[in-house]
Amino acid sequence: MDMATATRGRVDVRDLQIRFNVKGQEVEAVRSANIQVRPGEFVSLIGPSGCGKSTLLNAVAGFLKPDGGQVLLDGQPIDGPGSDRGVVFQQYSLFPWMTVRANVEFGLRMQGQSANDRAAKARTLLGLAGLLSFENHYPDQLSGGMKQRVGIVRALATSPQVLLMDEPFGALDSQTRVVMQEILTNMWQRLRISVLFITHDIEEAIFLSDRIYVMTARPGRIKAELTVPLPRPRTPEMTNAPEFTAMVREIKGLIREESIAAMGGELSEGGLAGLCTEVGPQGVKELV
Amino acid sequence: MSALPQLDTPFAPPRAAVPTHVGQGVTPLPLPPRAPTAPNPWRRFWQGRYAALLMATLSIAGVLLFWQLATAYKLDAYIRFNNIPTPAQVLEKVVEVNQSPKFVTNIGISVRRILLGFAVATVLGVGLGVLIGRYRAARWLVLPAMEVFRPIPAIAWVPMSIMLWPDNEVSIVFITFLGAFFPILLNTVHGVEAIDPVLLRAARTLGAGEASLMRHVILPGALPHIFTGLAVGMGVAWVSLIAAEMISGQFGIGYFTWEAYSLISYAEIALGMITIGVLGLLCSGGIRLLAKMAMPWKAYSTGGR
Repeated sequence: MDMATATRGRVDVRDLQIRFNVKGQEVEAVRSANIQVRPGEFVSLIGPSGCGKSTLLNAVAGFLKPDGGQVLLDGQPIDGPGSDRGVVFQQYSLFPWMTVRANVEFGLRMQGQSANDRAAKARTLLGLAGLLSFENHYPDQLSGGMKQRVGIVRALATSPQVLLMDEPFGALDSQTRVVMQEILTNMWQRLRISVLFITHDIEEAIFLSDRIYVMTARPGRIKAELTVPLPRPRTPEMTNAPEFTAMVREIKGLIREESIAAMGGELSEGGLAGLCTEVGPQGVKELV
Repeated sequence: MSALPQLDTPFAPPRAAVPTHVGQGVTPLPLPPRAPTAPNPWRRFWQGRYAALLMATLSIAGVLLFWQLATAYKLDAYIRFNNIPTPAQVLEKVVEVNQSPKFVTNIGISVRRILLGFAVATVLGVGLGVLIGRYRAARWLVLPAMEVFRPIPAIAWVPMSIMLWPDNEVSIVFITFLGAFFPILLNTVHGVEAIDPVLLRAARTLGAGEASLMRHVILPGALPHIFTGLAVGMGVAWVSLIAAEMISGQFGIGYFTWEAYSLISYAEIALGMITIGVLGLLCSGGIRLLAKMAMPWKAYSTGGR
């Protein structure tokens, strides 16, 4: 549980290309993206909606085959999904027919571990996430934040080398989100696992990450790579630090250019400015 | 960039924002004093479950009363109650038929036919349904053949079934099977298709292979729809069984009812009908009970049920 154990869990995405076939039309989702997650590092991927950040994560998870380039885990090419990469999805992906503990034990069960070992490990992790008293509840009995905590615990149960998180807190209200971010940093700090975190929330990315990649509009490329200058452990007060706000501003600027690009070629920046002042929010909404 | 000055204002974190509340600073109007509410026993009764029980009793009693009056006064107003037995006559019949084992044997034979046909339909319907729902090749290969047979009501199979199977008993079980099979098959297919794909992805990232996926995700995920199929299938199975027994049967509660008509034993017709109704009720109740035991998580799901 210290820094020394984090020698595995290195993700290399090299020159990744992914194309989709949508109704006979080829759509380029990701174009020559290069990212890297070092062992034990927390890396966020941020970008405008529809930029292909989830696509990139799905390639690392093994759900998608790259059309070009390579995805490597500890130097080995990724071939399909596997329990060496835990995935936390945006939608609550708990099995409704299993209790909380059975959900957490699922991966261990797939590994053929004995019932006793499974229960012990699941209960340890549930305790870490403050969910031990809910072990025999069904997911439908839990709140959204609790469900997502179970989702994280379940992904961690098989001791993966990397945790892949696809906008995991996107469906939660902002108060729950903040608490979840703190829980996640705490767990990450204890387990020292590599994390690739997808989000469109700039503050969330900065608060959680060691490094942040900013993606362009589709076809997704890496537009910028930034290192977060804040020390660990992170505290909520840090969100008021000048480094924090400066970084928010910087990333906002980067993403806004891309969001405008993503909304279509006709929409020049000058045109958008005129629109905003003359038409107001309703007009802009219609346009979107 | 500079063309967007209003968007370029320095970013202020949301936490620093001054909280404003709707209605802040508004003096609330004094509410009129509420009349002291006396505990209304009538109203409380309506909200309790005894009211529902009382209404249910009234509902059944109403049917019996109408039956009694219509038969006692030989009501003849387009529909004719001249030959219809009274409830008392039917009740007498219950005692009478139970003096010989024939009646109970008939029930036993019908129940056996239902259980056999329904069991085969469940195994084949769920099995094929899962394959069709999960694998495109199975869907393309099997579904067209199924669609050819599906619109043919099970009863229409009676003559063909008698020719097809070596003995009468098997042909009746086959009719029962056909009645139950299609609802079970189609609901299972639908259930497998309705499983959230994110659950399949989650299972695969946790190391589940195809067999584990089937057993731990696809089957339990489709279970609510499968039970819908079983409930519908059970109903159609009874319809098909009774028709088959009336047309081609020897033995069985459907045969009993039709034979009573041939023998002009009117009380036995009513008794047969009521027996069929009770058996159907017991079977669907059994499936509901099974569903509850097989899906304990459903008790907590919001929305459904």
